[in-house]
Amino acid sequence: MISRRLQIVIVTLVLAIFAMGAYLVHLKRKAESISGPPVSQALTPPVSGPAEQLVLYLASDEQNSLRVTAISSALPSDSGERGRLALHALIARYLEKNSPHPLGPGSDLHDVYLLDPASAVVNLNAAFADTHRSGIEVEQLSVFSLVLTLKAQLPQLTRVRFLVDGKPRETLAGHIDLSGWYDVDAVSRASDTLK
Amino acid sequence: MLKVQAIAVRFTALLLLLLAASFAAEPRRINVYAPQALYQVDILFRDGVDYVGLTDLLEPLGRLESGVDGKKLKLTFNGAEAEFQDGKRQCRVRSNKLDLPSNFLLVDGRGYVPATSVAQLLPRLADQAANFHQASRRLFVGSSEIHYSTDLRHSPSRLVFSFTAPVNPSTVIEKNRVRLLFRREPLVGPVPETVSYNDVFVQSATFAESPAGAELTVNLLQPATVSTGDGGRTVTITATPPPQAPVAAPQNAPAAVNPSSGGQQPHPAPRAHPFVILDAAHGGSETGSMLSPSLAEKNVNLAFARRLQKELEARGVYVVLTRVADNLLTWDQRAVSANTSHSSLYVAIHTSSTGQGVRFYTSVLPATPPSTQPSAQSAPSSRTFMPWDQAQSPFLAQSSAAASALAAQCTSAGLTSRTSAAPLRPLNSVTIPAVAVEIAPTDGNAEELAAPEYQQRVATALATGIAALRDKLEVAH
Repeated sequence: MISRRLQIVIVTLVLAIFAMGAYLVHLKRKAESISGPPVSQALTPPVSGPAEQLVLYLASDEQNSLRVTAISSALPSDSGERGRLALHALIARYLEKNSPHPLGPGSDLHDVYLLDPASAVVNLNAAFADTHRSGIEVEQLSVFSLVLTLKAQLPQLTRVRFLVDGKPRETLAGHIDLSGWYDVDAVSRASDTLK
Repeated sequence: MLKVQAIAVRFTALLLLLLAASFAAEPRRINVYAPQALYQVDILFRDGVDYVGLTDLLEPLGRLESGVDGKKLKLTFNGAEAEFQDGKRQCRVRSNKLDLPSNFLLVDGRGYVPATSVAQLLPRLADQAANFHQASRRLFVGSSEIHYSTDLRHSPSRLVFSFTAPVNPSTVIEKNRVRLLFRREPLVGPVPETVSYNDVFVQSATFAESPAGAELTVNLLQPATVSTGDGGRTVTITATPPPQAPVAAPQNAPAAVNPSSGGQQPHPAPRAHPFVILDAAHGGSETGSMLSPSLAEKNVNLAFARRLQKELEARGVYVVLTRVADNLLTWDQRAVSANTSHSSLYVAIHTSSTGQGVRFYTSVLPATPPSTQPSAQSAPSSRTFMPWDQAQSPFLAQSSAAASALAAQCTSAGLTSRTSAAPLRPLNSVTIPAVAVEIAPTDGNAEELAAPEYQQRVATALATGIAALRDKLEVAH
């Protein structure tokens, strides 16, 4: 037989558990309402130093073209870092509201590795490929703009390869080939065929 | 001793498991030869009976609509209604009752009938005769069968096979034996299957069929050469006086020309080959893009390919398709199909909900030295080894010309069109002129892609453009 005093203690504890649980849910909702939706912008680390010109090949779905835009930014001396920063800036443009070539939320790249001055490996994140719209034209514009923007920063570049989360992938979103090396000159010539 | 026995039992069990796995890994299929298409249907083995899916079987043959109502499957095929019930033998076709040899199966909303029943079912449902060769798993629908006759002639000694339609067999010449392999042709044999000859040149000719196709084996007493003629309707095996070493030659390799073969061509006439191979992109588990919440790219691509096939055939263009049902093909399988089809043009078909009109794409490849570019009248040598992912290089100029011509045809038909180059598989690995077409709606409404009127409009423009390319590409190829 449980004493009456013990019964009161148990009931009080159970009520306290429920009350704390409800308070926890309340705090969680409050925190979510303050922070808003997850940030989908590609974030670029700050770089100090003199400002230089950064050339971006911006894709436009409506025009089916690549538009060359120059922005001013402080750039690091390391070639791989320069390439990464340029692609970060490009992807950030695509994630802006009213982007001419929207990418899925969370699209970004992890890194740009230079095997030698002529060969670069671009490691995209999974969201870039998984949320990319599917179709020859939209995938072609994304890949061409990445390759040509990288080439603009690294003039000695002759070939580029893409990985997704560090792994090879057959296609970007079902169409454009990501399985091999891109010949930069061939991409440059092919981009001339865009409108 | 007991331990040794236990190890032996385990080893045997493992071997049996591996054996069973190897059998399980080998998919069993029925080859269907129909006037509309040549295709394969997977076999489902249940309760000791081979079953085939009704959708897989009927879809390439005509317009099919089906729906499941509880345990019943109701379908309409080219206007004829049929009803099947899961677990029952009896079914209803055009208000007539029919008993299947085994129970009808409904698995995951798909209906399956016993394979042996298709010869009964198709004539009632499709108004087309059907002949099922169970041992070789070959199904002949309508008037698709090709028959042949043999004629032994002398001075010089030769055996002439005459076929009721053009054929394109692979030829293997061995010592005292010639084998003609018919992998795609619906060739059926005579009874008896072996014909003996009391001759100094030919001993016998035997017809055999298997799931891999049909084969004619001619046993000889002298070396021989093989030539085809009459637009692929005859194959002649002619005795050659000097003895030769055994040679195995694929059909597309140049055969020895026999000056006494009555002017016959050593190669099949160009018209015996398909002119164009259409590749409906995606399929099976790979849906492509979702054009709308209910519209998968793979299905619209196939619908376009079929419509284009009909339009081309109406213009007298011989067409083959890489897929005629909802099945998955790898990029390499598509390239191999194109490269072994003896076609002159490869066209991949894609659809997209973004953009406008019709876009044509050719391969993106590093610059090719001018010496490897073919001239307009000479095809590049098929004997030049190329990397698999650059095999398109020698054909790029022809591909670009074909894309431009097709785009011009679409523009003249009032469709927005343009050409571009895109790194799109399997274009780089195709060894004939290759173009990918991406069809988008005219007004941004993806549902237009499924509309028969729009599909017909695009198919008509493409078919006109492809037919106009025949003279240029067939000469070059």
